[in-house]
Order: sequence, then structure tokens, then C-alpha cells
Amino acid sequence: MTTTTAVSLRGVTKKYADVQAVAGVDLTIRAGEVVALLGPNGAGKSTTIEMLLGLVKPDQGTVQVYDGTPVEAIAQGTVGVMLQSGGIIEDAKVGELLNLVAGLHKDPMPVEQALERAGIADLAGRVMKGLSGGQKQRVRFAMAIIPQPDLIVLDEPTTGMDVESRRDFWASMHEETARGRTVLFATHYLEEADSYADRVVLMRQGRVVADGTAAQIKASVSGRTIRATIPGADLAALASLPGVRNVETRGEVVLLQCADSDNTLRHLLENTTAHDIEVTSADLEDAVLAISDQVKEQDKAQETLA
Amino acid sequence: MNRNYLIFDIRRTMRNRRVLIFSILMPLVLFMIFGLTIPKDASEGGISAIAYVMVSMAMFGSMSAAMSSGGVIAAERDGGWNRTLRLTPLKPQAYVVNKVILSLLLAIPPLLCVFAFGMIFGHVHLSLTQWLTVAAVSWLGALPFAAIGLVIGYIAKPDSVQPITGLSTMLIAAFGGLWLPVDQMPSIMKHIAQLTPAYWTGLTSRSALTTGGVDTQALLVVLGWTVVLGFIGLRRYRADTARA
Repeated sequence: MTTTTAVSLRGVTKKYADVQAVAGVDLTIRAGEVVALLGPNGAGKSTTIEMLLGLVKPDQGTVQVYDGTPVEAIAQGTVGVMLQSGGIIEDAKVGELLNLVAGLHKDPMPVEQALERAGIADLAGRVMKGLSGGQKQRVRFAMAIIPQPDLIVLDEPTTGMDVESRRDFWASMHEETARGRTVLFATHYLEEADSYADRVVLMRQGRVVADGTAAQIKASVSGRTIRATIPGADLAALASLPGVRNVETRGEVVLLQCADSDNTLRHLLENTTAHDIEVTSADLEDAVLAISDQVKEQDKAQETLA
Repeated sequence: MNRNYLIFDIRRTMRNRRVLIFSILMPLVLFMIFGLTIPKDASEGGISAIAYVMVSMAMFGSMSAAMSSGGVIAAERDGGWNRTLRLTPLKPQAYVVNKVILSLLLAIPPLLCVFAFGMIFGHVHLSLTQWLTVAAVSWLGALPFAAIGLVIGYIAKPDSVQPITGLSTMLIAAFGGLWLPVDQMPSIMKHIAQLTPAYWTGLTSRSALTTGGVDTQALLVVLGWTVVLGFIGLRRYRADTARA
């Protein structure tokens, strides 16, 4: 029997002193998905991850990883974890450290293979202390894949990496997802969520405020923009099309903001002389900012009511 | 116990020789000061005084070496390594047992060196059985200190672990009667001494010299200390990794 649900959080909350770090999160991750947990600092990403790893107990709600509790999943070695910082022994050699971690698991991959996949085969004999931040992150990545886990959890994996090592890192990561592993990574880099995740879960103030593919999230906010050259366009008619929110012109070029770009596009092609048509979505950053603003407005409205 | 982890720890300790060398030199120097200066025929409680001092210094050496594992633990905690361990199938008991075994291994070199010094320069003569019994009992006597090292490792920060370990080693050794025989101190000191595990480990080790057997009551107290401190260490491990 195969389980199709890798992670399931139900109504999970966590409060630290006066801070409601996580305020009711429902999240289901299916096996094989690559999910980005996106949000600003303090959005509750790390606490959510800590709860799904069993490091922190939720105040309310349940967490299930595959068929059991997080602690059970960890004990079985089905979860590989890459923490944001620390979590290594500074005076150990890279090879020693990986050997040690391999020895803690039931069915580890050979250390050489882990080194290879993380792109650090040449660092095996080096002491951790002397490595750069990016190199240490790669060691952490090797530590995460060594148990041959079904689920890999990464908390801000590319923090402190330069652009090039970030790209290399995601290339290594891609090989793992290609092997069918389920991946959850927290990030505050929109671009990473956009490029590497099948699904983006946007968190803000301890809640999930958007959940879908990057394309869906972008579209949910501002829809898409159609840019077309339409000589002698009837602007009033275009503005009255269903789903069109805004019409702008720049000479003969018309910009249409629409909720349902497919329908608008069909209309343009059938009924107008529109040519040189481009359809673009807002980038993820616009979307995230817009969603965040909406959430802020809602919170304000609620406060006024209360 | 996890074999890989133990090998890893031993390698790491070998690379950091300072601790190892210090744990051997300190009791040797003390033995030269307090032991080799004693007249040969002097005796203390029916034991030749020099053998008495030899056993005490060996105990002191093994105890401070055993406690030095606290430094390893504090360093591992500081780097968040315990959190990493929590995310592996390694059981907390296995971690604690590993560190206790490491402590016991660290305790061997100072023991052997002090005994060798006593034999060669102090002319201590014991039967083979006595040597073996004293060595075994002194070695086991390091157990409660391994547990103390564990607890210190969880309480102290890496930069304070050395002074804390050093200070507690000296206090326990001095008040436990490892440096000066308790019988030569005021009687109040004997009561204080009995509150330290060192008093009991000293008693067990020396009992092997006089009777050739082992003081079982003292041995039980030593094991009691070990179990209680070990349990505290285990509790601290769990609490510490819960949220770093």
C-alpha cells in the first residue's frame, strides 16, 4: 500500500508567551510534491516546520507525517532535515561528520555518494570550521539526503549563499526531486519559490494566506495583463467586457487588466483587429504584497469590529 | 550505544590532545608533590602513605578526565548539534551512554600513568590481584564523574564549561579527601566529605589495598550517584533538544 499523504497539519496552533507564532494552520502535502513555504520573517514558517518535525509540540491541532507522528517518522528515518544554521560539529571533518550521520540511520546511502550529490566530494577531508557558509550548507544538504528519506525538509536552505552557489544548490536539489522525493522548503526568496516549487504556501502572521501553484497565486491577485495593439479600439466596449478591471492606452497599444484573460483574449481575437498580443501575469512579488495588504485590511476590519 | 558515534568522539578527542595531556599531567604533578615527598615507611590507616596518595591521585586524574566530556557536550549543544541528533533515529539513552563510555575511556590514561609512576618512582608494591582490583575499582569510580560531566555539559555554556569543570573538580577532590586524608581534618570535614561522591570512590579504591576486597557499601553509594546524575543528564538532554 502506498500512502499518498506525506504531511498533514490540522488546525495547528502555537503560542510563545504573548506571540501567537502559528494561529491555526491546515496543510496537506501529497507524496512527490515540492512545496515552498513562503513568508516574511516572523510569519510562522520555522515554528510550523518545527512542529511538523516533532521538535515543538503544537498547543492545538494534530500533525501527521506519513502514517504516524513526526517523532515516529524521524525514528524510522523517513525524514531528512536541513536546518537553517548550526546543527553541525565545527571541529569535525566533513567526511567524519557524514560517516557519523550515516551510522545513525538504518539504510543510509554511501557517504561518497552523498558527498557527490551535494557537490562536495573534494571537501571530505576538510574541517568544518574552515568552510564557507555556502560549503557548510552543502554539508547540511548531504546530511539531509544521507538517510535516503522520502521527505526532505529544508529551512531557508540558501541563506548566506551567493547567487552562483544558490543556483548550484537548486540543481542538486532538482536531482533529488527527480527521484520522487517529497520536498518542503521554507524561504523568503520569492524567486526560489517561483522557480523550484510545484506549489507555494504563503504564510503571514501565523496563518496560511494563499496556497497554490506560483501561477495561481499570481493570478489570484491581479489576474493577468493583456497587452495588444488595437488600432481604433473602442475602449468603453473593452472596459465593459466581463472580467476586465482596467483599461489603459499608450497610443495604439491597449493594456487590459483582466481576471479571466482567456475569455478576454478570445473576444479580442474574434471581434477586434488586435495584434502583437502579449499576456503577462504580475510577478510573485506583486502578488505576495497584494495578498499581504488584503490580510492587513481584514485584520484591521476585525479589530474595529472587536 | 552507537559505535560510529563513539569512534567519531574518540578521533575528535585525540585531535584535541590538550585536554588529554592536561588530565594526565595534573595528577602526576600532584603525585610528585604529595606522594614522592613522603617518607617511605609512613602509613595512613594501615596503608603505606605513598600507596594511599597514589590511589587518591589516580582517582583524581580519572575523575577530572571523566568530567571533561562535559566540554564536548557543551560544545555540541552550542552548535545546535543536539537538535540535529533529535532529527535522527538516535535514542537519547544511546547518546548519554555514548558520552559516559567516552568519559570512562578518557579516565584510563591518567589512571595507568599514575599507577606506573607509583610503581616505578614510588616503589609501591602490590600483588597482581591488588593492582587489578585497585585499577578496576578506580576506573569504575569514574562513573559518577562521567555523569557529573554530563550534567555540567548541559548546564554550562562552552566558554564557562572549563572553569566550572575545573572548579568542581578541585572542590570535589579537596572536600572528598582525595588531596588530604579526611582523617587528618576536623570531624566536620568528614561529614562534608561524605556528601561528595569522591569520598566514596576513594573509599572503594583504597579498600582494595587494605582488605584485597571491595567495600560494597561504598560501591553502592558510587553507583547510586551515577544513576541519579545519569538520570538528570538524560532529562536535561530531552529538555535541551526540545527547543534550542
